[in-house]
Amino acid sequence: MNKIMYLEFERCIGCRACQAACRECGDHDAKERNYVEYVDFTESRQTFPMLCMQCKDPACARVCPANAIQITDEGVVLSAMEEKCIGCRNCTFGCPFGIPKFDFEKNKMYKCDMCYDRTRDDIAPMCASVCPSDAIRFIDFDEMQQLRRKRTQMNLVEGKKPQEGNKWDYVPEFFGVYTDSQS
Amino acid sequence: MLNLEKSFYSKTSMYSFITIVVLFFLMWMSTAQFLHIDMALLGYMIGTAVFAIGLCIRMSFWIYRTATNRVAARSVKNLFTKERIKRNAKSLTITLIDNIVLQKFIFKRGLYRGIQHIMISWGCIISFAFTFGLTFGWFRFDLVDPDTYQMVAFNIPLIKMAAHGWIAEIFYNMLNIGAVMVLIGASMALFRRIKDYDVKVTQRFEFDLLPLYILLAVTVTGLALTVSYDFLDGWMHPHISLVHQITVVIMLMYFPFGKLFHVPIRPLATAVPMSYQETLKVDTKSCKSCHQPYSNDDQIADVQAILKAQSFDLQLADGSYLSDYCPSCRRRMRALKQMNMEAPKGNPYGPVNTNNGIHLSGFSKKRSEDFYGIEQDIKKDLGEEKEHEPVSR
Repeated sequence: MNKIMYLEFERCIGCRACQAACRECGDHDAKERNYVEYVDFTESRQTFPMLCMQCKDPACARVCPANAIQITDEGVVLSAMEEKCIGCRNCTFGCPFGIPKFDFEKNKMYKCDMCYDRTRDDIAPMCASVCPSDAIRFIDFDEMQQLRRKRTQMNLVEGKKPQEGNKWDYVPEFFGVYTDSQS
Repeated sequence: MLNLEKSFYSKTSMYSFITIVVLFFLMWMSTAQFLHIDMALLGYMIGTAVFAIGLCIRMSFWIYRTATNRVAARSVKNLFTKERIKRNAKSLTITLIDNIVLQKFIFKRGLYRGIQHIMISWGCIISFAFTFGLTFGWFRFDLVDPDTYQMVAFNIPLIKMAAHGWIAEIFYNMLNIGAVMVLIGASMALFRRIKDYDVKVTQRFEFDLLPLYILLAVTVTGLALTVSYDFLDGWMHPHISLVHQITVVIMLMYFPFGKLFHVPIRPLATAVPMSYQETLKVDTKSCKSCHQPYSNDDQIADVQAILKAQSFDLQLADGSYLSDYCPSCRRRMRALKQMNMEAPKGNPYGPVNTNNGIHLSGFSKKRSEDFYGIEQDIKKDLGEEKEHEPVSR
């Protein structure tokens, strides 16, 4: 798998199709695991989608007292294993990005797993496959590099000159899972 | 304790040694100085001793983890806080009954899964309790006279019962009852694992299916023993007994290292409401940004300490930590950061300027000066140059 998730927050139109699609994914138990939220409702209707970053060294797994959060070979951080999770919600508070959700009824944590049954076979996750405005995309690593370069050029056209100290402010969110094993 | 520890290879080996010593001391005590050992169960006894060591090692490594250690320490500390004793007792009892005995949360995940799990768990607990008791001789049945058995626990004579009374029959068939429960539960689980596409997403053979096959092997061979001596006049009994012994030893070896290890770590779940809810089901810590309650101080303190101990630097410029904000504010902060939309100056927790200057709301609007990112000193230089610009006439 050499594909990554590519998010452009500004493109989000707030249709919440990604959440509807997430509910349909296998093993998601009809509950969405991603977020679509308003940047600031009092100022504008701008929304942004939010998914798990799939950290290499996830804080959620580190704060879990039951060692329930596992990482697959591909680098996907899975939801807490149901038999181990003791329902303390440490992961919810440990995650720097506020991603894990908790089901009080069933006493278990669940989080974005990039639709593991799809992405492990290089199929786009549910959210990326339905997003109408391409705010969430599942693309090749090289394509992402190209988009980032384009983005930098656009910034230059717009008159924004990234400098050495702040050039990372000008590239959009990207994250994902890439291993070189199969390519 | 420190000196004792030094005479061992490691802390873990010390705990293992103590466990084994305690185990065999109990055995020595309850079998009247090894007089009443059931030699037929010798293989099980050695298997169980190795199982105890394995369990001890795994439990030790589990409790050494920073997160586990911290949470366990918090639980112990809260358990013995005087003002909380009444509340602790109540919440511990409720969680113990709901979560461990009745396993209500699994029934909420589905009736099928609930039945399957309660069958496996209680079947296993019954069988384990009975087998361990018999192999280590913690209790035994003495023949007082030809028609009466007496139960002896830890070498203390207890109830007497008729050799074919109903109490005795229940005891004789205890392992059969457990085995039938596990057989039903494990078959249901295996059926679900094979049929259900949802569980296949993250299912792994060696982790999810192997324990079911092992449990099935143990129960089937165990029940075959009963069938053999009850209905087939003991046909093949020694062979089946040997096979059963092998399967049980395999299960005991597997237990601490596979999926079944969730059994001994589960009791920590009973401490969660006690440790992390100052008032039951009420959040007391409020978010630093939106001031909505989202957690409680103890838990956030624990999370921050655990992260700090593992060198996670999640501190912000103003000294607060990301875990001081509620999850939804954290998500918003990340989006703002990424879109370069955090307020440049002033109150960072006040209203946010969502106009980032890239997209203007109308045509022919002039961009603000700071949009171009020209630094102050350069601007000044430009201004100065203008003043001294030579004018041609």
